[in-house]
Amino acid sequence: MARYGMALDYKNCINCKACEVACKEENGVLLGADKHRIWVGANAPSGEWPHLDIVSSTFMPSQCQHCEDAPCEEVCPTHATYYDENHVVRVNSDKCILCSYCMNACPYDARYVDDRTVTVDKCTFCSDTRLARGETTTACQNTCPTKVRTFGDLDDPESEISILLKTRDHFSLKSHLGTHPKLYYLT
Amino acid sequence: METKKFMGFLPVNAISIKDLFAFEKSFVNLLAIAVTVVFLVMFVVGVGNYLLHGHHVFNVTREHPWGLLIATYVFFVVSSTGLCIVGSLGDVFKFEALNYQLFSKRAIFGSIVTILAGFAVIAFEIGHPVRMMIYNVVSPGLTSAIWWMGTLYGLYLTFMIIEFIFLLRHEMRRAQVFGFIGLAVGLAAHSNLGSVFGFLNARPISNGVYYPTYFILTAFITGIFIAFIMMGFRYKLDFPPEIKKMLTGLAKIQGFLLGAFLFFAGWKMLTDVYGGMPGRADVAVHIFHSWTFWAEIVLAILIPGLVILLGQAKSHVLMFYASLIGMVGVFFMRYNLVHDTQLKPLQMMKTTRYQLPPQWVEYVPSTTEILISLGGLGLAFVMYYIGTRLFDLDESVTEEAPER
Ligand code: SF4
Ligand code: SF4
Repeated sequence: MARYGMALDYKNCINCKACEVACKEENGVLLGADKHRIWVGANAPSGEWPHLDIVSSTFMPSQCQHCEDAPCEEVCPTHATYYDENHVVRVNSDKCILCSYCMNACPYDARYVDDRTVTVDKCTFCSDTRLARGETTTACQNTCPTKVRTFGDLDDPESEISILLKTRDHFSLKSHLGTHPKLYYLT
Repeated sequence: METKKFMGFLPVNAISIKDLFAFEKSFVNLLAIAVTVVFLVMFVVGVGNYLLHGHHVFNVTREHPWGLLIATYVFFVVSSTGLCIVGSLGDVFKFEALNYQLFSKRAIFGSIVTILAGFAVIAFEIGHPVRMMIYNVVSPGLTSAIWWMGTLYGLYLTFMIIEFIFLLRHEMRRAQVFGFIGLAVGLAAHSNLGSVFGFLNARPISNGVYYPTYFILTAFITGIFIAFIMMGFRYKLDFPPEIKKMLTGLAKIQGFLLGAFLFFAGWKMLTDVYGGMPGRADVAVHIFHSWTFWAEIVLAILIPGLVILLGQAKSHVLMFYASLIGMVGVFFMRYNLVHDTQLKPLQMMKTTRYQLPPQWVEYVPSTTEILISLGGLGLAFVMYYIGTRLFDLDESVTEEAPER
């Protein structure tokens, strides 16, 4: 049993959106669906030409943060949202009643309604697809041309992600909310 | 024989469908019937549309997953709790001086009707209501405010029905016991509804103790508005003296409650704006500029408050009209609660080219949402009307009062 997380060397992101495409292909996300499972956000450079603030222009890949104290899990009335054995936050579509409470409670806007099951869905770290087949990478990580993403077991001190987190400074999004995200942005 | 036995157990008036249409054909009655029928047709059309096309006929989005139907549900359950509180004044707490008993049976029946209408509306917002009934029981999420709210409201409805049966049977002692339990469970359910919003740490504008407590206060206010409306229709605005006395008592309480609510709303807004918390202060300023906020303040607080103040709680007929206006304000209050919680986008980066980063989440209810919501009102009217025919909703004290 692992405790999966992901480190993102986000400053390397070039906003090619290959990860979005790979995720759609791997996890059967509907074509044309916007911001389902993962997305890349862009911060436009601030300031007026010619005094543009170049460092303010960044690309931030984002998705479900797989919070350790996940508000979405806490608010789910039927335990449709749960932590699986690998600490991945998952949704059991048989139990989801589509009350949308989790969509309101997730501080990262990570959840959407899947039109096929008419239940809530989100990033699963490829648990149903690649991990189930025994692979050790996620589709987004596998495809990223600039190697932004590192996925792995946080409990294994030898794993690439553990070493990265010990050697590189990092932050997580909205950490003041106490959700303890397992997505780490490397600086 | 069987019917006789049942009527012995539960005193209902023997009426036929024909009797339901035997009402005085006055203009007001006909208008009320017309409005109700239109609302019911709206409900059928709205529900039909939803069944054909699913959630796509609602304007709810990923960023604004709760829309008008949730607001309408809240509106109905607040009305129910409010009627339960007002009904309890006479029936549970025996405030005899003000003769609230005159209203208790009607109030308790109203609380049953309104919560049923609320359930009817939310059944179409919840994606899988049947699944909900199963998994709420077999896989309860005890950390979820929605679970507690739903479960407690279910219990509350049961207790209200039991209390109503005892009231009809004139078993006052038992009615009092069940009334008390029902009230306690209702208050718990209702503050839990507030906590559905109050627990959201993603939404600083709603997070905290405000909503769970303000819900009880505003429920009481709503209950008194509806009391005026029900009594206004019952006595066609020609109130007998003991009803006048009761209404004056209620109006005084209402004046006090509205004052308290003005404090609540005022300080919530001031601490929100000047507290300077990001995600709260900016949202509060945005709310301050929305017309729905002012609709709430003016219609639900200022107009009824002024009518009570200027009429020294004795202008009963004006209070009837002010209560109608007040209920419109209360509707905006519910709408604002739901909408304002979701105003601030949680993901504020630009994700698509040639597009600006999201600023505020926009929401306008769709036609189908409006149809179902007004339809809920129609359902409440019909159930209430049938109830007035089927049950004897007045206490014996008022038997000499004019019939409708
Ligand atoms: S990011 Fe949102 S959906 Fe993902 S675990 Fe956290 S609260 Fe749940
Ligand atoms: S929408 Fe589904 S997963 Fe989300 S809280 Fe409701 S039941 Fe749980």
